Amino acid sequence: MELLSNLASPIVIGILMGGLYVVIALGLSLVFGVMKVINVAHGDLVIFGSYMAYAALTTLGLNPLWWILPSLPLFFILGYLIEKYLLNRAAKISPDAALIIAFGLALIVQNASQIIWTPQTRSLITDFTMTTFKVGRVYIPLVYVLDFVAALVVMVVVRQFLQRTYLGQAITAASQDRQTAELMGINPSRVYQVAFGIAMALASIAGIFYGLTFSFYPSSGPALLIIAFGVIILGGLGSMVGTFIGGMIFGLSQTLGGYFFGPTGQLLVPFLMVLLVLTIRPQGLFGR
Amino acid sequence: MAEDVLLHLNNIDVFYGSIQVLAGISLEVKSGEIVAIVGANGAGKTTLLKTVSGALHPARGSIKFAGEDITNLNAYDIVNRGISHVPEGRRLFPEMTVLQNINIGSYNRNARGKHDENLARVYELFPVLQVRKHQLAKTLSGGEQQMVAIGRGLMANPKVIIIDEMSLGLSPLIAKELFRILHEIKIRGITILLVEQNVWQTLHEADSAYIIETGRITLSGKAIDLIEEEKIRNAYFGV
Repeated sequence: MELLSNLASPIVIGILMGGLYVVIALGLSLVFGVMKVINVAHGDLVIFGSYMAYAALTTLGLNPLWWILPSLPLFFILGYLIEKYLLNRAAKISPDAALIIAFGLALIVQNASQIIWTPQTRSLITDFTMTTFKVGRVYIPLVYVLDFVAALVVMVVVRQFLQRTYLGQAITAASQDRQTAELMGINPSRVYQVAFGIAMALASIAGIFYGLTFSFYPSSGPALLIIAFGVIILGGLGSMVGTFIGGMIFGLSQTLGGYFFGPTGQLLVPFLMVLLVLTIRPQGLFGR
Repeated sequence: MAEDVLLHLNNIDVFYGSIQVLAGISLEVKSGEIVAIVGANGAGKTTLLKTVSGALHPARGSIKFAGEDITNLNAYDIVNRGISHVPEGRRLFPEMTVLQNINIGSYNRNARGKHDENLARVYELFPVLQVRKHQLAKTLSGGEQQMVAIGRGLMANPKVIIIDEMSLGLSPLIAKELFRILHEIKIRGITILLVEQNVWQTLHEADSAYIIETGRITLSGKAIDLIEEEKIRNAYFGV
């Protein structure tokens, strides 16, 4: 009974942390859905987002939440240029070439971070980092609530953009049928550049909230890539709702796994869930 | 008469790799006409249309539209000029709604300002689409999907609409209804370039026609005259 009566805490934390995973996974999902390229650098770009927020915090004293505003256009432009001058050219040779470029990008980002910020662990510490509040018998850190709110806001904004604007609909159309999209007057290269720019902006947001929640070091990225993959597999590719539910399931099975099986269960259980879904429903819970 | 020619193909050669698919194709589409390209499966009809809309580029020859050379433009630029291509097999965006499919047709910069006007016209031509507008495109019947595809093509505000195999896989009744709507589109001042396997019906609906066989044009003229042509009667109608 004692064991079950304390379940409230891992459930609440699991769901809130799931929000963070949703934000991390969205950028990867968007790029794969539109460009059919697995951006293996995504995790490292998220951590790059954490480091940029860290730089803004340590040099300018800027609160990471305020850093979101200037970082969005900055990362968008960066992503736009990376697609235009690196991935797009590589993709013309072969899809594999784009994959290798992404892998190279991951190595560059990791090693550059190591040179600039040393391999030491960093975190985004602000005045609210340690703030917690008590709901019933559960202590909830404020940053976990922020993670969840961020996930909701990001999902709604991205969804509205994809559904309600010409450019968003062009991205949606190109992801479903590239050739026909061209017949609509849609320039696929431009669509890819915008999609990658958005994915980079999402990576920045994910990096900021990741850095507020956990500490990070230059090689934290690949683990995040794997988690993002897990979330997408659980929810199903190309489904916004699926990604959201996938994030929740991943977060929940991580905290509940830790609760019941100790620290070793924290990542074991979510990835067992991933294997389970791959076996029973390979297209994901909400996939088509 | 020359200024009446909206679209002019001059001696087009098209290759897939080293295989020649079109050889020395020349044709003219006059403003305000329904022009049909008919012929057997594999004769090169779809290739010809793809070359006009910029999805493929000819190795030799030139394409002029409204007096300007469009031979080497990209597909997405050609839509801006006023050529809209309704591809074979409808090719709707399956996970988008009917209305989203129709709306994306007006993506090109010359069509956006006329979106509301064109949407009203599309609903006027195909009232059923207004009823179905919030359904996913993949849930429609074949005939309704073809209506969405044509509606989407009209949203581009074209001078010429190219329609590839409009009646393929549809019942004769629905095909007949779609041909009736083509005449309404023509009355509204839009030129139509049509590719069909259904030779008999098409020749009765079109103003002029080109017969294409293994990548070459073998006969051309007024559609009504071609119906009487002995060679065609033998080859396609079996009478």
